[in-house]
Amino acid sequence: MLTPAELERYDRQLLIRGMGQAGQERLKRARIAIAGAGGLGSAVAFYLAAAGIGTIGLIDHDEVRLTNLNRQILHWTGDVGRKKGVSAAEKLANLNPWTEVIVIDRRITAENAPDLLSGYDGVVDALDNLETRFFLNKAALDHGIPLFHGAVRAFEGRVMTVIPGRTACLRCVYRGARPEEKAPVIGVAPAMIGSLQATEVIKCIAGIGKLATGRLVVYSGLDMSFTELSVNRDPHCPHCASCDGRGEP
Amino acid sequence: MTVRIHLHPDLCHLADGNEIVETSGDSVGDCIRQLIARCPALEEFIFYKDGQLQTFIEIYLNRKAAYPDELGRKVKDGDEIHLILTIAGG
Repeated sequence: MLTPAELERYDRQLLIRGMGQAGQERLKRARIAIAGAGGLGSAVAFYLAAAGIGTIGLIDHDEVRLTNLNRQILHWTGDVGRKKGVSAAEKLANLNPWTEVIVIDRRITAENAPDLLSGYDGVVDALDNLETRFFLNKAALDHGIPLFHGAVRAFEGRVMTVIPGRTACLRCVYRGARPEEKAPVIGVAPAMIGSLQATEVIKCIAGIGKLATGRLVVYSGLDMSFTELSVNRDPHCPHCASCDGRGEP
Repeated sequence: MTVRIHLHPDLCHLADGNEIVETSGDSVGDCIRQLIARCPALEEFIFYKDGQLQTFIEIYLNRKAAYPDELGRKVKDGDEIHLILTIAGG
């Protein structure tokens, strides 16, 4: 049930066809984990909190560095040296006190990923390396919850949503990442991709629109273009080949 | 016959700045080998020394994932290949 203050806060999005109070209440009941409170995670968390997602679990163990500030918009100059989860939660609480933010100060591993995602309705991949993405992918598949993938580099980015047992997972699509000590990136790239990931979460929870499943949506900021590339489930995928499709939205 | 190869932005500088290179051949592998013959600097980005595809190279044929057996996929006139590098930043 939405309070009068919530009805006023979300007034403009309640007008969206297909959303209404029922959709908004679904957002309020939703528990979404965000893996990473960096460039992507900042944009995703900001827009999910603004949209009224009830609970956000923010998983990050890093501290804010000065070199983060060109793109990680939840962290400001005075936050350098602070834990990213704490810094982000503070901003989000000011943005929307109706969203509960749970800070999870842990490094994601193959062993703890299943526990970290327990009790969540979906997880946003806002990570910065492929190896940890695979841990997250496997845990999301095992829990049968959607995974909202995003990745960026320089001016480009990509988005894909994974519905366990129904659509291609990250392991069906990716086999390895280029070894790179320091990837180039400008803040508008994670801003764009994080916004698209948040859009996917909102659509999925509210039950509206068409998700970016079975396709990589590739964004080029330099060309100002989007390209859709079709991807299929790999019948021999080590992560999802035996997945039974529990994750229908 | 012409098969157009679209290069990831990070590969264009190894192909004289071209985003698209026109090639020909019977298979994706043929077209990529022709691409490398014209732009030899691309070889180490696309293949390991043993001739296997680098794991971070994704190949799409007519905007559909070509995996598995990407190089053996047959092509025809007008086909388009996208050579994409996996990205992992966040």
